[in-house]
Amino acid sequence: MIFHPPILALVLASLISALTVLWAAWFALRVLRHWQPSSGHALQINMEKRTYLVSTALAFVLLLELASLLLFVSNADQMSVMFVGAMCAVGTLNVNAYGIPALLLKLAVFFVALVWLVINQIDNKAPDYPFTKLKYAILLLLAPLVVVAAGTQLTYFLNLETDTITSCCSLAFIPEGGGVAAELSSMPPKPALILLFGGLAAMVLLGLLAMRFRVAQALYGLASAVFFVISITAIVSVISSYIYEQPHHHCPFDVIKPQFDYIGYWMYLPLFTATGIGMAAGILGLRRTPDSMADSFARLMKKRIAISLGLYLLFGLVALVAILKSNLILIG
Amino acid sequence: MIELDNVSKVYNEGRANEVFALRDITLQIRADQTTVLKGPSGSGKTTLLTLIGCLSRPTVGRIHLEGKMVSGLPEKFMTEIRREKFGFVFQRFNLVRGLTVLENVMLPAYPLGLKYSTLRDNAERLLGDVEIADKAGMKVENLSGGEAQRVAIARALINNPDYVIADEPTANLDTRLVGEFLKIVEKLRTEGKSVIITSHDPRIWQADVVDRVIGMEDGRVIEDGIAAT
Repeated sequence: MIFHPPILALVLASLISALTVLWAAWFALRVLRHWQPSSGHALQINMEKRTYLVSTALAFVLLLELASLLLFVSNADQMSVMFVGAMCAVGTLNVNAYGIPALLLKLAVFFVALVWLVINQIDNKAPDYPFTKLKYAILLLLAPLVVVAAGTQLTYFLNLETDTITSCCSLAFIPEGGGVAAELSSMPPKPALILLFGGLAAMVLLGLLAMRFRVAQALYGLASAVFFVISITAIVSVISSYIYEQPHHHCPFDVIKPQFDYIGYWMYLPLFTATGIGMAAGILGLRRTPDSMADSFARLMKKRIAISLGLYLLFGLVALVAILKSNLILIG
Repeated sequence: MIELDNVSKVYNEGRANEVFALRDITLQIRADQTTVLKGPSGSGKTTLLTLIGCLSRPTVGRIHLEGKMVSGLPEKFMTEIRREKFGFVFQRFNLVRGLTVLENVMLPAYPLGLKYSTLRDNAERLLGDVEIADKAGMKVENLSGGEAQRVAIARALINNPDYVIADEPTANLDTRLVGEFLKIVEKLRTEGKSVIITSHDPRIWQADVVDRVIGMEDGRVIEDGIAAT
């Protein structure tokens, strides 16, 4: 293991998160088995008292998990100078077999955590805990993810050897290579851009409908997940090429480097956050409006969908600016 | 109407020093009545009062206020209920030293976001109602016991609560001041407010202004004298 301050911070953060979610998961099991808002039983009252503490602690560690994904990626990028063959985060993550799985698990944690945080925020605005069971059910999905992500990340860090020769992103993200990276890279520019901006227009339309009609909210959640895949495909296959001004360079990690004005962060942060909020809106859209929130629920959902839409538009704008600023001609 | 349904309160639950402060209390407290909780020290009067006033939560049982369950509300909603529905007069009055009489009375209304001038007018009117308007600019540490009590009552009324809760309000007062306190209670009753008082002072629970006396002992209700009204 390399004793690098970001690595120690990431290990510490994941340890705190894993312990907290395990503690909270034990509480979640009790809530799912015994939660009865109408009951005046001591167990119910005790759970009502504790849920505020548990959800506050969880909110803290899940925010930590969101930040930890950023640190994980930026640290992988910065550490690339230590490994022969690595030129960006891809090389660092490929130093051993645990890097990419750790990243994917942290991505999964990011989305589920964001969904949990949004639902928790809405739940806290009602006097009668309308989504408490739902959020603790989601926590039971999240807890193993956080623990496995922490374990995989630790294994990855423990197996980092500086004398390893790794592979650079130019080998991973080429259409001729194998796997998902090659599939993403091989999409032709025109259909990728049509899908991206057509998809964005569809998201805006669906978002506006979801702000008015309950039935469209669940669709918006589903569409958020689909649009995320479309967006990542577009970033890898075409937008990255525009940013690097090289038709055959498709790395989705180099875009976070300072020489590209950290544009990757400007694309990924809005895209990821919009997707998480959109998915949470979709899940809540499937639920009945609580009586206690008859006046406020629609307004709260509208606000979150508007935030999600705003972030998608920001992502689209950044991608568009990257294309328009580029000297590369891929279409025409 | 405040309804308590099989309410118990245990302090230090599960520990060696566990105390059963209230045991299985079922009560209904009507609005626009003056209710006195009487009983010896340690009988559970103050604990019951804190539960009624949403200052603490029961260990078992539910409390409903005007048909809505309040005992299980998340803390921020409890705070809103306390601020909007209840006014509190504490045994030691709990006035904030260093502030003037007027400032003390205005204090609980600040979070409501009223204009300062409206707030000041309301506070001055209440000080007039309890006949202590002439002391508005005085620091509270310079007040006598009776004066401090009247300031505490004015402060309890600043948010125009439906329920005024007073914990042993006459514990350290002479007979004349007890009489003055009862006059204020009478006035509140005529305004349609519900006044709930804990007291082991017979001058309070034998007063004409009291509609109902609930006797307590060892955390249980042992007597409930509902007035004919």
